[in-house]
Amino acid sequence: MKTLLTILAVGSLAAHIAEDSSGLLQHPKFQSSNFENILSWDSGLESIPGTVYSVDYKKYGETQWLAKEGCQEITRKSCNLTMETGDLNEFYYARVTAISAEGLPSTKVTERFNPLRHTTIKPPDVTCIPKMRSIQMIVHPSLTPVHTGDGHQLTLEEIFHDLFYSLELQINDTYQMVNVSPGSRAPIRLCSPPWVRPPHAASPPPDRTWT
Amino acid sequence: DGVAALPAPQNLSVHSTNMKHLLTWSPVVLPKETVYYSVEYQGEYESLYTSDIWIPSKWCLCTEGPECDVTDDITATVPYSLRVRAILGSQTSAWSILEQPFNRNSTILTPPMIEVSQDGFHLVIELEDLGPQFQFLVAYWRREPDTKEHAKIVRRGGIPVHLETMEPGAPYCVKAQALVNAIGRNSAFSQTKCVEVQGEALPL
Amino acid sequence: QEFQFGPCRVEGVALPRLLEAFRTVKETMQIQDNITSVRLLQREVLQDVSDAESCYLVHDLLKFYLSTVFKNYSHKIAEFKMLPSFSTLANNFLFIVSKLQLSMSRLNDSAHRRFLLFKSTFKQLEMETALSKAFGEVDILLTWMGKFYRL
Repeated sequence: MKTLLTILAVGSLAAHIAEDSSGLLQHPKFQSSNFENILSWDSGLESIPGTVYSVDYKKYGETQWLAKEGCQEITRKSCNLTMETGDLNEFYYARVTAISAEGLPSTKVTERFNPLRHTTIKPPDVTCIPKMRSIQMIVHPSLTPVHTGDGHQLTLEEIFHDLFYSLELQINDTYQMVNVSPGSRAPIRLCSPPWVRPPHAASPPPDRTWT
Repeated sequence: DGVAALPAPQNLSVHSTNMKHLLTWSPVVLPKETVYYSVEYQGEYESLYTSDIWIPSKWCLCTEGPECDVTDDITATVPYSLRVRAILGSQTSAWSILEQPFNRNSTILTPPMIEVSQDGFHLVIELEDLGPQFQFLVAYWRREPDTKEHAKIVRRGGIPVHLETMEPGAPYCVKAQALVNAIGRNSAFSQTKCVEVQGEALPL
Repeated sequence: QEFQFGPCRVEGVALPRLLEAFRTVKETMQIQDNITSVRLLQREVLQDVSDAESCYLVHDLLKFYLSTVFKNYSHKIAEFKMLPSFSTLANNFLFIVSKLQLSMSRLNDSAHRRFLLFKSTFKQLEMETALSKAFGEVDILLTWMGKFYRL
């Protein structure tokens, strides 16, 4: 119990110096698709050439901010935090500090980010094999950058246990096939559970196939 | 004293069909005047824990007609209290409260309208779009002795759905019922509709 | 669409709609909480909850949210003009608790310990800070409940 009180004191101190309102930097936010989590931000209205940016991140509830290697004193306005935010059930913060040529720092913190809740899903990769009276559609499993403890790379199907595909068939008009679950035949467009954002257009297939 | 002069609306009641909930009341009639109304609601939570809190209805902050669509206000399967008052310029009447709280599980579910069609050898159904709360159980079969009935869950109305690739020689029949998970109920089945494909079967 | 918290089954609540309700208030609510180094629904409360524990834990947590967090924070919610979303969450939590109560028989010690850890962290903060932090963590609660949700 004593440990918690110490954290509270330190935590509230650390949190209060975290942010300021100067115009060097604005809108730090996570953008995530298929669990590829990219932090991006805009330069502020008062931003001047020569401004550099440094990125920190941490899990919500922890005191320590961790510096993101490869994103210290950079000039670009994005940083890939996929590996650092790989726990689907965790909630993260990222923090960007802008330092102008005059040395004045400006820090902004993102909203609380949860990969499972915020990622959007890309459309599945599909191979189409037309036959005399049928079409065989092979939907390739969508690999994600998420790994289990023993190094197994997870697919979307393994993450979303109630994932289903929606297949649209166009003959004269466009029909929706009834939603098909992974492992059955001929799915085309990917629909995830409704709380994850809908997909966009299809793209070329990766190596592993599966019908 | 002006406030009491404006009579409160009377005869509040809710008419709910297919999860569309309409609150109605008897209008307050004043010659050569247009009376407006304001509607507020309270879920069971508010009435139990924060009874002083009433929430303005999404669509009827100041409405002219003696009715209000409260569908978007009722977002849980618990009893809701509803109240209405009349507004005339700066005058407002007393609130009239719905006598019996309304629970959406009492909504009337009607059999869904269906359109069955064929496109070449393909059996296609389009169901009435009843909104996001509705799914549909579609039953279809080939009308011949010892036939087997197939069933599919269609998650949304308003779009054509491919059911089956048909063979000539017998009609295919379809019927459907609406399912509402939010209240754990379903409608009766719709009328059955059949179509038959003519000509030779497609080679394999 | 149903929750299956171990032995307790709850139909009639659409989790996506609760997530949507919270999403509309998330930014405003979470900005009120600038102590990012303290988390009420921490890993020791929610991680590796067994099916048997889940019914008891979700019951205790939702009851606490209804009787303490939502009740004492409703004035702030009204101030922020977020009552409709708040009402959706509160009334659906109330519905879930009412369905859980029907199938709860006796106490589960490990679930109770997890709840007491959450509650003790809550009690250590100043009331208004604790209320805004707890309300801001509704997405953590809903994300955890999502593990027991079947479309």
